[in-house]
Amino acid sequence: MTDFLNYRHFPVYSVMALFLGGFLIIVLGNKKVLRNILAVLSVSVSLACMLALIKPVMIDGEIITYWLGNRSIAGGYAIGIALEVDALSLFFGLLISTAVFVSCIYSIQYMANDRNVSQYYTLFLMLSGGVIGLVLSGDIFNMFIMVEILTFAAVALTAFRNEAFGALEAAFKYLVVGCMGSTCILTGTIMLYAQAHTLNFAQLSALIPGNITTSGKIAFALLIVGFATKAFLVPFHPLAADAHGAAPAPVSVLISGVLTKSGIYGIIRLTYFLFQTISQSSFRLLLVTVGSVSMFVCVTMALAQHDFKRLLAFHSISQIGYVLTAVGLCSALGFSAGIYHAMNHTLFKGLLFLTAGAVLHETGTTNLDDLGGLSKKMPFTTALFLIGAFSISGIPPFNGFASKWMIYQACYQKAVETGHFGYLLVTIICLVTSILTLASFVKVSQSVFFGRLPEKYEGVKEVPFGMRFAMGIFAVLCIVTGLFPDLVGKYLTHPASAAAFNANAYIDAAFGEGYASSMLGPFASAAQDVVFDTAGVWSPVSWLILMMIALIAVTIAAVSGKYEKCSAAPEEVTDPKHELFFGGEKNRFSQVGGSDLFWGFKYNWRHYFSGMHDLHSGVLNDYALWAVVALALAMFFMLIVL
Amino acid sequence: MITFNYIASFFLIALGFYTIVTQHNIVKSVIGLSIADYGVNLLIISIGYVPGGTAPIFTPGELTQASAFVDPIPQALTLTSIVIGACVTAMSMSLVMKLYDSYGTLDTGEIRRLRG
Repeated sequence: MTDFLNYRHFPVYSVMALFLGGFLIIVLGNKKVLRNILAVLSVSVSLACMLALIKPVMIDGEIITYWLGNRSIAGGYAIGIALEVDALSLFFGLLISTAVFVSCIYSIQYMANDRNVSQYYTLFLMLSGGVIGLVLSGDIFNMFIMVEILTFAAVALTAFRNEAFGALEAAFKYLVVGCMGSTCILTGTIMLYAQAHTLNFAQLSALIPGNITTSGKIAFALLIVGFATKAFLVPFHPLAADAHGAAPAPVSVLISGVLTKSGIYGIIRLTYFLFQTISQSSFRLLLVTVGSVSMFVCVTMALAQHDFKRLLAFHSISQIGYVLTAVGLCSALGFSAGIYHAMNHTLFKGLLFLTAGAVLHETGTTNLDDLGGLSKKMPFTTALFLIGAFSISGIPPFNGFASKWMIYQACYQKAVETGHFGYLLVTIICLVTSILTLASFVKVSQSVFFGRLPEKYEGVKEVPFGMRFAMGIFAVLCIVTGLFPDLVGKYLTHPASAAAFNANAYIDAAFGEGYASSMLGPFASAAQDVVFDTAGVWSPVSWLILMMIALIAVTIAAVSGKYEKCSAAPEEVTDPKHELFFGGEKNRFSQVGGSDLFWGFKYNWRHYFSGMHDLHSGVLNDYALWAVVALALAMFFMLIVL
Repeated sequence: MITFNYIASFFLIALGFYTIVTQHNIVKSVIGLSIADYGVNLLIISIGYVPGGTAPIFTPGELTQASAFVDPIPQALTLTSIVIGACVTAMSMSLVMKLYDSYGTLDTGEIRRLRG
């Protein structure tokens, strides 16, 4: 009987609790209290199972392989479906179950006045179960199934408030492009099966890397593009922005904090384990480029937004760009910086989406131009928003600083190591993106929480306790993970990073000692040394050099901006807002709204911004075309360069 | 013979994606998704094909080293894939109905309130 409490069963409990909870809620129907208890119970069980696994997996370094139905290996081939949990899976599982737990608590009061709340909880738990199942799975077809489940649930939840502005439209676009991504994943999976005749992830990781054929390369391109749709990397970012704007706030937390992580997890598993292409510098450059482009494009898109949640959505993808860049560096420091930032992103972006939800809950709008002065009415929410904003902008001592600092160091270290100018450029892009992030959060705090309070919001109150409690959990976690980066490193990110550089241990855990080295032969990559010599250490010299890089970047920006200013003839000014105002009488056009705080910057960059605005046309065919072009480019890259 | 299947399946996937990219009617986008899905199903079932193979159903003792049978795993995968494809169609068609109710059009060029 006590065998049920063996920690080896916990991964499967963690997945089952969520799916079972979702099933029971829809069966029990609209019994309000019972439904809420069931939802909280299932997410708590899932979180508890994950927490209980910290000791065996993170500290003792065990890799749990769980064969469903006890059908394991016959004749050298895996015939059962496996769950395989190493430190990397557990790391993602932990942060996902934490985010799910908090947003479930928040949902209780946030969704209380909606229709069909039991359906909401069922979909919510299906989405959570899908993501947890994806990160714990050791079977590539199972991963595809989980991807489909989470895509469906996310689409349905996006359209849940289907009377909301743009909800149906966002859901439909997401469904079409998301399903194109899923089709890519399935095609890639089956092409791998055709080559290796197995679907087990560990066995594929042993058979594929030494023997990548042409069809293997195409399969790799398909899988990478498929998981990139799930992570909403450029060029799939408009889908995320649309979906976030329409979805209820707790669902935005899941889409931004959890769903994008599943895409990143998939990319890590593919590149570090299944194909081990990360060892090639050209491929590293591809990941870093995609990451940097996502980072920069999305932060500039965010600057131009006038909707609170849409702005947060673009920032979300920008932060995912940081994660991908750091992971793509393929250094031990870069990898642990990347997943540390992934964790911090889940925490602070979850907090920010919940505060946006609180504003929507009380005022009924998220339009930045309408809001203002809410700090007097909602002091607690304002304080939490500021914690989230400081974290995402990388201000010490919050968690965003700790991880971004590690990312700058990792990029710079890579630049010194390889002597490649590109990595130096990436360091600069990271810094500039961080500054732009700060700028846009200054704008948001000014236009939502400070400034003048519109008269129609005089009656606004603070949100109920349940919502404040959920936001408080995220805020405390943001501060704790920022104050103790060494503890986070010791118990969470370093074991996960060590696991990522030790694919052989992952393979051996399923197939017995020595299997990996016998199958991979001379290709076998020895466990890479994980060196954290500079992590978290303030090195004044490199700090100074970074400062100089930033200064040079600012100088270049200033100089080029000045040239443009000279060339901009006054008659081009069409909007009276952009005219210079020298004082004297009060001009009614000279006032700049809180959401237009950076109009000068936007005006100087107007060609870029209007070009970007036209590109994000909102037409489904354009987004589908971008997906197909991305797929074609990925295939081209894999076939020609790799 | 089986090569023809491979060509046909990738042709179907490409045709499905082409439909989604070029057609401005959202019902046709859904049809495009289905076509791509059929292409994948054909690919899966072709991969499991063994020349001269029988159905993979054997009683104990009947199976010898010489018996050739088609790979049963892709057939199981295809079933899953077909079910998922049916769900995609059902869900997207319900969204199309709702969209037509609130927008009064099926043209992707007009269903673009979210942009920029």
